[in-house]
Amino acid sequence: MSVGQYHSLCQRYRGKAVEIRCNDGKVHRGVIQRVDRNRVYLQPLNRSRNLGGFGYGGYGRYGGGYGYGGWGVALGAIAGIALLSLFFI
Amino acid sequence: MNYSYLDFLALFGVGGAHPGGLKLTKQLLAEEKVTKQTSLLDVGCGTGQTSAYIAHHYGCSVHALDCNEIVVEKAQQRFSTLKLPIDVKVGDTESLPYPDASFDMIISESVTSFTNIAATIPEFKRTLRPNGVLLAIETVLEQPISDEEKNQIMTFYRFPQLLTEAEWHTAFTHAGFKQIEISTYQPSTDQTDEQHAADFTLSADIDEELLDIMEEHEEITKRYEGKIGYRVFRCS
Repeated sequence: MSVGQYHSLCQRYRGKAVEIRCNDGKVHRGVIQRVDRNRVYLQPLNRSRNLGGFGYGGYGRYGGGYGYGGWGVALGAIAGIALLSLFFI
Repeated sequence: MNYSYLDFLALFGVGGAHPGGLKLTKQLLAEEKVTKQTSLLDVGCGTGQTSAYIAHHYGCSVHALDCNEIVVEKAQQRFSTLKLPIDVKVGDTESLPYPDASFDMIISESVTSFTNIAATIPEFKRTLRPNGVLLAIETVLEQPISDEEKNQIMTFYRFPQLLTEAEWHTAFTHAGFKQIEISTYQPSTDQTDEQHAADFTLSADIDEELLDIMEEHEEITKRYEGKIGYRVFRCS
């Protein structure tokens, strides 16, 4: 999928919990807050210790990083997105 | 701050936070006779996903109630965005702010379990009309567990009680319900679809401590798989 297609998919999934796999193997799990031209911003659902994705990376072109409004993942770094099946009582 | 599981649901604004989610809600309602004339209470409405669906799909009179001000505000936002005429208020299931015989149907989606059932269930009975129906999706204890295990579950969710199916049955009968139909909901690990996935209405500032609650919830549901289960009680 192209950056444009990930952009529209992320728009559609706003407010939903997703798992985003990146080209470098990192996995980000969180709720989509917003999307801009280059990034999708997530509210994480887990602390960093369980994931490759959080806690490091910084604002590289293909990295992720904390900014205003959550964790930003570069749209160009995304390899796949899936909706999470979460269970609540 | 010492957050509870319900604080987590409120601040993350989880819509459809009950076993089966919106998909089960739709299935259950499809089996009921709901018309434009039906007066319905969605008790513990959360962010209003179920109420919005019912008002939109059935066009009936929907009342939504929750004890948590944060979710009531989020529900209000949802209803006004969708232009749905739903009466929503903050209130307590243990003393419902409605006159006797107000409703044809009350829906409790994993709500009664979190309240003192000795007070809540009679309130459902009082506010239902004589032929009214209570639909409740609730947590049950499937098999005997140690006090320590039971304590862990009840402390985490702040359940005032954790009942077996038979104990729930007794509680409903005791409150005056004559007919109680019970079905089991088996959580599935199927991939969720876009239409039925939980929706989140996040609060502006999410404290990292809330992530610990999410993690502990996932650990507990995994650890007690098969020991705690879920039932749909249809009481009339």
